[in-house]
Amino acid sequence: MSHSPVQYQLIPEVKIRREPFGGILYKYGCADRGALSFINSPQLIELLIASQQQHHGDVSGAIESSRYSEASKQKLYSILDDLVKRGYIHILPEMAEM
Amino acid sequence: MVEFVRFIERPDRTAGAKGGTIHPLALAAMEQTGEQVSQQKGRGSQRFLQGGLSAPMTVTWEITAACNIACIHCLSASGRRRPRELKTDQALALVDELAEMQVFQIHFGGGEPFIYPGIWKVLERCTERELVMCISTNGTLITAERARRLKQFDPLYFQVSLDGGTPQTNDSVRGKGVFDRALRGLEFLATENHSLTVNSVLTRYSFYELDLLYEIAASFKAKLRVTRLRPSGRGQDVWADLHPTQEQYSEFTGWLMAHPDVLTADSFFHLNAFGTTLAGLDTCGAATATCCICPEGEVYPCAFFQAPEFEAGNLHEQSFREIWQNSMLFDYYRKMGGGACSGCGQYNVCHGGCPATKWFVHQKLSIKDPECVLL
Repeated sequence: MSHSPVQYQLIPEVKIRREPFGGILYKYGCADRGALSFINSPQLIELLIASQQQHHGDVSGAIESSRYSEASKQKLYSILDDLVKRGYIHILPEMAEM
Repeated sequence: MVEFVRFIERPDRTAGAKGGTIHPLALAAMEQTGEQVSQQKGRGSQRFLQGGLSAPMTVTWEITAACNIACIHCLSASGRRRPRELKTDQALALVDELAEMQVFQIHFGGGEPFIYPGIWKVLERCTERELVMCISTNGTLITAERARRLKQFDPLYFQVSLDGGTPQTNDSVRGKGVFDRALRGLEFLATENHSLTVNSVLTRYSFYELDLLYEIAASFKAKLRVTRLRPSGRGQDVWADLHPTQEQYSEFTGWLMAHPDVLTADSFFHLNAFGTTLAGLDTCGAATATCCICPEGEVYPCAFFQAPEFEAGNLHEQSFREIWQNSMLFDYYRKMGGGACSGCGQYNVCHGGCPATKWFVHQKLSIKDPECVLL
């Protein structure tokens, strides 16, 4: 069984909405501009919603408790790195140092 | 527990039916734009927005037309309160509906939102429903006490309007003494550490004061937000005199690139045709990502497109959800083609510019944006 190398945590302010093409990520922001992304992967949107609703924002936990294949999990982790850069997810410091 | 207040004046309507009629001028103008560029061929934001989202991301809500100042370029021609403005219980019901549709943000404007009698209750309901709130205000009615009281609402941020970096430039547009009063409002809000932007409409006169506006915003720990002058409302009367020149737009594009922290409300995507992609959406979000609710319940494609011919519905007669999902006007609007811009090599970066500007300047939608940088 794989484990995330770090713990990816969804930022609480992020709002997620399903759309026919996948969904939208929205982060309120004034001083830091905020963020808005169109995500054309329903799988990723469902994962993020599950993280928010069932895992207190713990995306790594949501992935590990899912039935995704090992390859799918690794692909998801690489996508999460992009969401970190865009400001929707942060890496918990204590885990990042491990 | 939130009490859901329903509109009681609305007649029953058949759910799911395409609602309303379209003004013949609007229908003709939209049909003249030709076939929509297919979603597969679309690039950037447009491929996601074509056809419209399940709900707006942001709704601009001009909650009252009443205003204590009279800007010469006011896009909604505000001044006096209008007879059928939504009552507070109707406004609260609307907040609930927007929350249930998962709208992310409500952008309150007007008029001056702080003149609306129910504004405090509306903000309280938005906080309960976890809607992001933005208040666009002229700043003149902000007092120290109000700034403190507003701290209870979250998340909330403010846009305080300054249309020039000096009293001369600002007050020539917004009225005598308004510059100083707006600065006082900014000071009160900054003292309470509210999240702030200084909102400035770019004109051919304020263009020379961009650096000054940037400094003023920074002095209040605010971001500068520059938006495009639209020829709607009273703006129709002054647009020809105030809108920036092509040379100014070219220089402004460079200025924006040099100031990446300046916000633009995605309103300058037509400048992408210069060859530099600006931050934000690269297409018009009217009727797809956003729309505008006006004081008397009228729903329009966006805040800049408050033309009677383009009213999609009215909240005194239909729910917002019905209008968003079933309005025939919105249905046509979302299927518009590129018109004269269809064959342009830059179409994929500007998507033809601002339909509202086209309409208010030439009463057509099939033409190029009157401020197209390639004209």
